[in-house]
Amino acid sequence: MRVRQTFLFLSPWLLTLAAFYLFPVIYSFVLSLLNFNPLNPSATTWAGLANYTRAFTDPLLRRAAFNTLYFVAGTVPVTTILALVLAILLNRSLPGQTFFRAGFFVPTLVSMVVLSLVFKQLYAQDGILNQALSLLGIQGKAWLLDERTALPGIMLMDVWSAIGYYMLLFLAGLQAIPRELYEAASMDGSSKLSQVFQITLPHLRPVALVVIVVNTIRSFQVFIEVFVMTRGGPLNSTLTVVYDLYERAFYRFEMGYASAIAYLLFAVIFLVSLAQARFLRLGQPVGG
Amino acid sequence: MILRKYAFFLILPILLSCTPRDKRQKIVFWQFWELPVIQPQIEAFEKTHPQYKVEVEQLTWQNGFDKIVAAFASGQVPDLCELGSTWAPQFASEGVLLEVTDGVRTMKDTYLMWEPVTVGGKIYGFPWVVGTRALFYNKSLFAKAGLDSTKPPETWLELFNDAKKIKALGKDFYGYGENAGERHILYKKFLPFAWSNLGSVLSPDGKKAVLNSPENKEALEFLVSLLPYAMIERQDALDQGFKQGKIGLLVSGAWLLRTIPQDAPDLRYGVALIPKPDKERGIHASFLGGEMLVVPLKAKNSVGAINLVQFLIQDNNAGALAKAVKTVQPATREAPQDPYFSQDPYQKVFLEQARTAVHPPPHPKWVVMQEVLNDALEQAFYKKKTPGQALDEANARIDSLLVAP
Amino acid sequence: MMKRFLLWAVVFLAFLFSSFPLFWMLFLSLKTQGRFGLQNYFDLMASGPFARYVLNSLVVALFVVLGNVTLAAMTGYAFARKSFRGREVLFATVLGTLMIPKQATMIPVFILMTRLHLLDTYAALILPFLVDGFSILLIRQYLLSLPPDLEEAARLDGASELRVFWQVVMPLAKPALAVVAINAFLVNWNSFIYPLILTSRQAMRTLPVGLALYAQGEHSLDWGHLMSGSALSALPIFVVFLLFSRQIISGLTQGAVKG
Repeated sequence: MRVRQTFLFLSPWLLTLAAFYLFPVIYSFVLSLLNFNPLNPSATTWAGLANYTRAFTDPLLRRAAFNTLYFVAGTVPVTTILALVLAILLNRSLPGQTFFRAGFFVPTLVSMVVLSLVFKQLYAQDGILNQALSLLGIQGKAWLLDERTALPGIMLMDVWSAIGYYMLLFLAGLQAIPRELYEAASMDGSSKLSQVFQITLPHLRPVALVVIVVNTIRSFQVFIEVFVMTRGGPLNSTLTVVYDLYERAFYRFEMGYASAIAYLLFAVIFLVSLAQARFLRLGQPVGG
Repeated sequence: MILRKYAFFLILPILLSCTPRDKRQKIVFWQFWELPVIQPQIEAFEKTHPQYKVEVEQLTWQNGFDKIVAAFASGQVPDLCELGSTWAPQFASEGVLLEVTDGVRTMKDTYLMWEPVTVGGKIYGFPWVVGTRALFYNKSLFAKAGLDSTKPPETWLELFNDAKKIKALGKDFYGYGENAGERHILYKKFLPFAWSNLGSVLSPDGKKAVLNSPENKEALEFLVSLLPYAMIERQDALDQGFKQGKIGLLVSGAWLLRTIPQDAPDLRYGVALIPKPDKERGIHASFLGGEMLVVPLKAKNSVGAINLVQFLIQDNNAGALAKAVKTVQPATREAPQDPYFSQDPYQKVFLEQARTAVHPPPHPKWVVMQEVLNDALEQAFYKKKTPGQALDEANARIDSLLVAP
Repeated sequence: MMKRFLLWAVVFLAFLFSSFPLFWMLFLSLKTQGRFGLQNYFDLMASGPFARYVLNSLVVALFVVLGNVTLAAMTGYAFARKSFRGREVLFATVLGTLMIPKQATMIPVFILMTRLHLLDTYAALILPFLVDGFSILLIRQYLLSLPPDLEEAARLDGASELRVFWQVVMPLAKPALAVVAINAFLVNWNSFIYPLILTSRQAMRTLPVGLALYAQGEHSLDWGHLMSGSALSALPIFVVFLLFSRQIISGLTQGAVKG
């Protein structure tokens, strides 16, 4: 009886998994073992592990991997901390609270494609950013065309656009914390700051898992910004793994190799997420 | 009484067969132009070919190609598909397009740009519209810099001097617009100069790379020499800079002809052929690109597709499309005779330029070679390597591509 | 008092920083031919199928939200509260589906939809996203941060599992459900690549695709129309956000749990 009910609750996922994930996932895994040209599927040949070994010796992919790691390491902690701080600040009664919350969330409302187009303009030689900087007496440049500033530029935009979204997740998590705990702590005389560390953060651990893991996963898969703003340039400084994968699949028609890259990326993301969950003890229920 | 009951059942089949069922053959057509532009031609085609019904789908420029690839990968292909001239060689060499060599024998000479769909002497598609690149120049800036605004530069030296004079006008002015930071575009701005200097990427038999020939090195060195007087930016920023009157000379495409009247109606500008190395040397070469129409081998209605193609590429129809969008010209050789084109000062130049424009080698690995070339150009522009070094390295890489299976 | 004001000032500055590029977008959307006005908006709404695009996006988004708020929630609940064999492995699949880049599965999904004859239907745009891994994850994590006491109490009172779920758990999970709703709406509303590949007829296009077709030419960008389209596009999500964020903030307090 118990088992059957559990099965009922799980059935939506089981169905979705079977119908829409199993086939694509297995299909693309098989592709990674083949030399598959999407234009001419009938000319497919067996590649075995060749695609995978190629991935390890590919200098372009290595560059992409480096860029991607740089991107993840540079954006996830910053976004997480800023989102957390904002959520805590906006959870108490501050004048204009709802207005602020909405304002921070607004970047999320606009599609990433459009945001990227807007920032592309913003970062241009005579774009708004440089105009603002010139008011402060700083000479700007074409940020996306310099190999040293192109990727940081994209990272900045990414953090900017993601804060409001993760702030929302944290806000939700904050609602689960019983108010009495804070009241009791205040009566005991502990400061607001130590309350944050003693009460808020531990209770936010489960939700923090979502924020950190999801943010990490999405950051590893950064694509649209690169596609719209820089196409991997200049000099491959903004080439990311998923963008490289996409170009190989759709421009070079090396879909087998692209699939291998996808699965290697998957393995990396999986290991990193596992490490995050274990290290930060984020997977357990509160009080456990 | 009984008859009345069964009468209904007798009438029913008659009624059913009278239902206007669309007996026309379907032609699925994928293309990139806006529907209001292509719809009139579709309707005209359906009128003169009442046995067909065309299902048109408009693809997005940014990602429509992904959809085409997905279609080929799954076998769910359209009957007729528009393909950019840089993409077509790949498809043609994979053997996934319908061969039309025999069918086009009689019409071959009336059209430009068969190269993208020609592999090993066989033809796998049709040229529809061409788009080349020409030299835009700002007449007001010319006048301001003391140059004759009716005499755009015809040689490299003239281009260099004109750019230098315009840059001297001030901090916010640039003599030339140089592309940077955008893959798949850089080579379209370099190759015209290389070709003008009679250089090329591959040897005539296509077996060896000649990218590091003295002619090509000279062309790249020339472009690098322009850098101090140039705005270095992406294509859309360069276009914008030109419209804002900041750039004196820019190699760009006919799409500017469409957007300048919208965004900068007061701009006084002209269009000229891309300069050649010297009055006595070289040619006014440019990049020949455009749109092809291809029929996938697995198309369900290839006969219908062929009919549609032949209709669309006729001079009057391709011409109507060109006139509506202004960003391309028909691929027919007789297009220049149309008064619309011969009398418009800008269109005229573009058509003339198209006749001496060159198409990149239709090698199946061109997409990869183009990336190698782009890398080399970036290295040279960003001063990581000298033009000579960059081209030498690229040449070696392309050579190894040619021998690889 | 000073501290509070400083705090407020910091938040306000951050707010400006956050919203500035968007004000710029609105500004651009009101510019046509060098003049100001709502012309871009009128153009967009008059451009025939635009209303249809909005309708399609709405239909798809609504169903996806409903699905996630109910079905995904059920699954998240099962992961959080029930122990069963293979729970860890199955949960790993949930996370796993988030980790595979769309670009790798795009073509297989297209092939799958072709075989199922679902191309150009609402089903293709809705079904795969009805139960999303992120929703499951969020609900699970949120429930893990709640003590199971209320549910135990209800069970002891003799309520069936389904009742426990609907009448006890769901109300408790309101903040998380609100986030799930907002997220599901958001992700689907702005979804571009799947609708592009999975639909062909103009009548089935969604808003982002329609906008790209309309305002993004081969070499030029129609800023005025693109910005006005994006602004219009952002409006429904904004409304959804306002509606649901109230749920997040005014979520049931845990005061019900004594002791």
